[in-house]
Amino acid sequence: MQIKDYVLRRMMVLPILIIGTSLIVFTLTRVGGSPVGIYLSHEMTPEEVAEIEQRYGLDQPLPVQYLTWAGGMLTGDWGWSGVAAAPVRQVFPDKLGATMELAVAAGIVAVALGIGLGTYGGARRDRLPDHLTRVFSISGAAMPIFWFGILLLIVFWVGLGWAPIGRSDADIFQSIAHPTGLYAIDAIIAVSWTAFVDAIWHLLLPAIALGFGTAAIITRMMRSSLVESMSEEYVDAARAKGLPEKLVLRRHARRNALIPTVTVIGLSFGFLLQGTVVVEIIFRWPGLGRWMADAVLRGDQATIMAYVMFTSVLFLLVNLAVDVMYAYLDRRVVLGT
Amino acid sequence: MAVGTAPRTPAAPLAGALGTRLRRFTEIAREVLRNPTTLIGAALIVGMIGMAIFAPLLIEPNTPNPYQMPRDWGALNEPPGTPGHFLGTTQQGGDVLYGVIWGARTSLRLSIIVVSITVVIGLIVGSLAGFLGGKIDELLMRLVDVFLSIPELIFALAIAAVLGPSFGNIILALAAVFWVKYARIIRGQVIHIKQNEYVDAARVIGDSDLRIYMKDVLPNSITPVVVQATLDMGNVVLIGATLSFIGLAEAGLAEWGVLVSQGQAGISAGRWWASTFPGLMVFLWALAFNLVGDGLRDILDPRTESKR
Amino acid sequence: MSSHKTVTAKRLWAIFLAMTMIVAACTGTTTDSTEGDTPTTAGDGDGATTTAGEPSDTTAPSTGGVTNPDTFVHAADDEPTSLDPAQVEAGEGGETVILQVYDRLVEFSPDGPDLVPGIAAEVPSVENGGISEDGTVYTFTIREGVVDHEDNPVDATDVKYSWDRVLTMDLPESNVGLLADTVASTEAPDATTFVVTLNQPNAAFLNSVVTQSVASIMSEEFVEFNGGYEAGTPNEYIATNPVGTGPYVFDTWNRGENMLFTVNENYWGTPANLDLRIEIVPDPDVRVLGVRAGDFDTIETDPSFVGDVEGAEGVTVFQGEFLLEPIHIGFNLNYPVDELPAEDTIPADFFYDPMIRQAFNHAFDYEAFIQGALGGFGAPTPFYLPQGVLGYSEDLPVYTQDLAMAEQLFRDAGVWDEGFSVSVIAEGGNLFEIAALVLKDSLEGLNPNFTVNVLALAEAQFDEAHASDPIPYAMWVKNADPFADPHAFQSEYMDPEGNWGQVHGMANGYQDPETISSMIDEASVITDPAEREAIYHELSAMFYDDPMWIIAGNEVAVMAYRDWVQGFVMNPLWPRPSLKFALFDKG
Repeated sequence: MQIKDYVLRRMMVLPILIIGTSLIVFTLTRVGGSPVGIYLSHEMTPEEVAEIEQRYGLDQPLPVQYLTWAGGMLTGDWGWSGVAAAPVRQVFPDKLGATMELAVAAGIVAVALGIGLGTYGGARRDRLPDHLTRVFSISGAAMPIFWFGILLLIVFWVGLGWAPIGRSDADIFQSIAHPTGLYAIDAIIAVSWTAFVDAIWHLLLPAIALGFGTAAIITRMMRSSLVESMSEEYVDAARAKGLPEKLVLRRHARRNALIPTVTVIGLSFGFLLQGTVVVEIIFRWPGLGRWMADAVLRGDQATIMAYVMFTSVLFLLVNLAVDVMYAYLDRRVVLGT
Repeated sequence: MAVGTAPRTPAAPLAGALGTRLRRFTEIAREVLRNPTTLIGAALIVGMIGMAIFAPLLIEPNTPNPYQMPRDWGALNEPPGTPGHFLGTTQQGGDVLYGVIWGARTSLRLSIIVVSITVVIGLIVGSLAGFLGGKIDELLMRLVDVFLSIPELIFALAIAAVLGPSFGNIILALAAVFWVKYARIIRGQVIHIKQNEYVDAARVIGDSDLRIYMKDVLPNSITPVVVQATLDMGNVVLIGATLSFIGLAEAGLAEWGVLVSQGQAGISAGRWWASTFPGLMVFLWALAFNLVGDGLRDILDPRTESKR
Repeated sequence: MSSHKTVTAKRLWAIFLAMTMIVAACTGTTTDSTEGDTPTTAGDGDGATTTAGEPSDTTAPSTGGVTNPDTFVHAADDEPTSLDPAQVEAGEGGETVILQVYDRLVEFSPDGPDLVPGIAAEVPSVENGGISEDGTVYTFTIREGVVDHEDNPVDATDVKYSWDRVLTMDLPESNVGLLADTVASTEAPDATTFVVTLNQPNAAFLNSVVTQSVASIMSEEFVEFNGGYEAGTPNEYIATNPVGTGPYVFDTWNRGENMLFTVNENYWGTPANLDLRIEIVPDPDVRVLGVRAGDFDTIETDPSFVGDVEGAEGVTVFQGEFLLEPIHIGFNLNYPVDELPAEDTIPADFFYDPMIRQAFNHAFDYEAFIQGALGGFGAPTPFYLPQGVLGYSEDLPVYTQDLAMAEQLFRDAGVWDEGFSVSVIAEGGNLFEIAALVLKDSLEGLNPNFTVNVLALAEAQFDEAHASDPIPYAMWVKNADPFADPHAFQSEYMDPEGNWGQVHGMANGYQDPETISSMIDEASVITDPAEREAIYHELSAMFYDDPMWIIAGNEVAVMAYRDWVQGFVMNPLWPRPSLKFALFDKG
């Protein structure tokens, strides 16, 4: 019941936040002047420019433009992307699929690595493994993804020639259907081993590059909560009962250490999402992030607006979901206060 | 009668407070030096800030603008070890060593400007919200929430994109994103302290809100702000370099992210140096401030303190 | 203990799933809806989906060491913006696709400027009766039995329909002016005859109008089925789904990644040998490694990285003619001084003084740009007669760097001691930005009181500034549009009454603008080439003394390709990258 109230309260704030964000995004894109530039070619006369402005409704007063844009975002007309040469909405699903596949793969890398290393280090507090994991977790947070990615490319792409670049081998990609938009999953559905290997092979380096920073955050959280829960009374009690240390760790300490870690995992979703911009540039990954970067460099406002809006709404929803789940998992948060 | 007491009270306790603060500071410094990782971080910071400050002595500044790369159009893509170009050159004939050294100065400039601006904005917004409360608090905090609802790199990217590629615009974009945390920290502190008894006591004595603010709120907010600012000295450079890597700095700037981006174009032909060295600098810079910031948090955070 | 909820690893994955499901919900539904909205074309039904679910046997890695033996792979440097002949901009990536997918009435042969028949069964001439004696009426005999990629027949009425469509839509970004300025009327009296009446005789009609992308042919059925056409409104479907009669059938466009084409087996001419894939690869390093590794057969090549592919095993670098698109830096003599960037200190009449413009020209480090940035694949160019254009001669005066002379001129102009600050705009991340940086280094190296701010703008911002009149910047860098005829260069870039002459206010600077204008006009109507050349030479010498541009250099066309490409041929008269992939084979 109380969780329900909490969720309801959070849900009610959501539209306000979304409207606020949309106002900021819209204002922002008009600060630099009219978004008409991307639709122009360099040899146009001022009259031709006016014609183009009219075509995209950019001759209207700003409030009208805002309402048109906001209405369009709601009804599925997200404007014309000058960079992709198509309506934003038409290109979006494929790019989203590519980006989400990358983000999920990176998430898997980060969670596996983070929980593993965090547990390993935390259980050996103040010994060498602990120090090493600490170094890892701090260096991960300080690692510029763009540099790490390039180093991986220098070694594995240029140097050893092992890793491919891009998302897929074009022929293999074309050979299967894509019902979900996630290449690896599509490969499983199509029962194509070749495509699956191709998908994983392409995913590997970018997922590591993207997941590295998040893995560091998770490692750190996991380690410290493990250290904390190892010293709690009920763990001591379990020890007193004569349970072997391994079981104490697995059954009691680690389980409870996971609660705060889950929150961190959820909150690091935004970190992953923004990291895709850089990773997609470096690994030539055909997703939303690379599209956004192109849009930024070429001044494609429609794409920038749609991307920022989508990302922040997704970010808000995920954060909400995480908070709700956290409240549910750790009743003390709600019931205790 | 309240007027009479006012000038008398501050002198003595203030001197005392100063003394405690000084003592506390030396204590902290000693703690910092005791922890090996924090010590490494501090040493790195000293080294890199030294490099930034003494850049003109380390390598001859480019004229007229030393923040621009010197370009030798007759020596493009030279490998490290080339005479005169110890770390090699970029595809524009820029000396990588120059970029590494002056990039430290660019980064120092960037981080100090952004962190000062954001601390001040955060201080103002946070204090206003915390002190005035009510509708204004509600409004300001909703604004903070809205700013927090866009992931920071993406927000900064969008702002810098709209303003156009230049170093000044990167500063603006980062400032617009980074103030939010300070506003939250300070508002929290203000509310926390407002509820404390000694503030009530001060009120009873007849201190004005402003005096309470100067005497109690501000000094008590310093700790978390210092920790956050230390971390941000690193993060600002990290995100700033990411923006310029994407292509939002001005052309030819001696900045690490710009160099990594230029170097990226040559890696397939085996030219690894132009991106490797400047990228390493970004990493070390962020690492150093993270190490020290972390160390400071451990020392200053009363929660961890009590657990020791 | 029981109220103390514990989390298992499974729960953790559940959170991840929850996140992905939010997304999957979006992806899933949107894919469905777009598919539903997308108009399917008239003869379609079996094309796009047949590949799905087939065993992936296309992976056979090599046949005799050739990668992708059945598909030709070209790496282009950017994404097209429109594939509709009525909308495509000249020189833009979409022209590459239009050249392969659509046909025109006549085409340039692979060997040079000669014309060969396209949809027209023969090239009209006065001799074969295709061109009227007075040169105003062109009659094309249309090939019989031509069908487009959806089996719609294409005859003379479709040719007329295609041209009418372009003229009616009249989109500002397109090259429709080529047709609109020359054609008075068109007729299709029967299925095999197409008659064009011109406004006035025009010897260049076939070469400079009929062969261009804007004059491509499509079937009426295809257009009408997909929304027809309307004045001033682009057709979104046709802009992204070209259906022509050419040797390649457009299949898929994975934005940001690649475009796929299959062989048109029903092509009226010689069908292509291989399927085609155009990879969209903006990063030069990926293109370089791709061609070195054999993943790409041809790559869009920039002179600046020829050194990275030259000598690589299995790669040949083709070096062609000059590109006819010199990279130039414009002097604006007409900027609104209040709207200049805040750093600029120059007065409104700064560039009125020819000495200052000469000094800039003498200061520029041509060697750095041509030998450094262009890797030696370029040459200095006289005003305004690029190599390969009638009138070009090595004897014409070109600027070389002469710092002593530059200093003297700046001193004489009275700006040496006080110095100045000027901003120059360029599109970021390419040769234009580099030319701007060379200008900066040249001037700032000459005198520390000179400041040149290089503003590397996003393409959209540059295009907007470049298209405004007056331009709110004092200097900008870009390349010239390619023309085949010297008059086009003169009137576009030098004539005070011409396009740039007016925007830049050249009349403010020229000693005698009327004479220049009348000489340019005079040269355009002279039929004797030698006489014409003489006037252009005289003009070029005048422009040298009164320069309106800094011409940084004219690039040489270069193309890196795999040795296994058979029948490699490049014709600069075809739109960029000047390749017809249907002519190639691998082995």
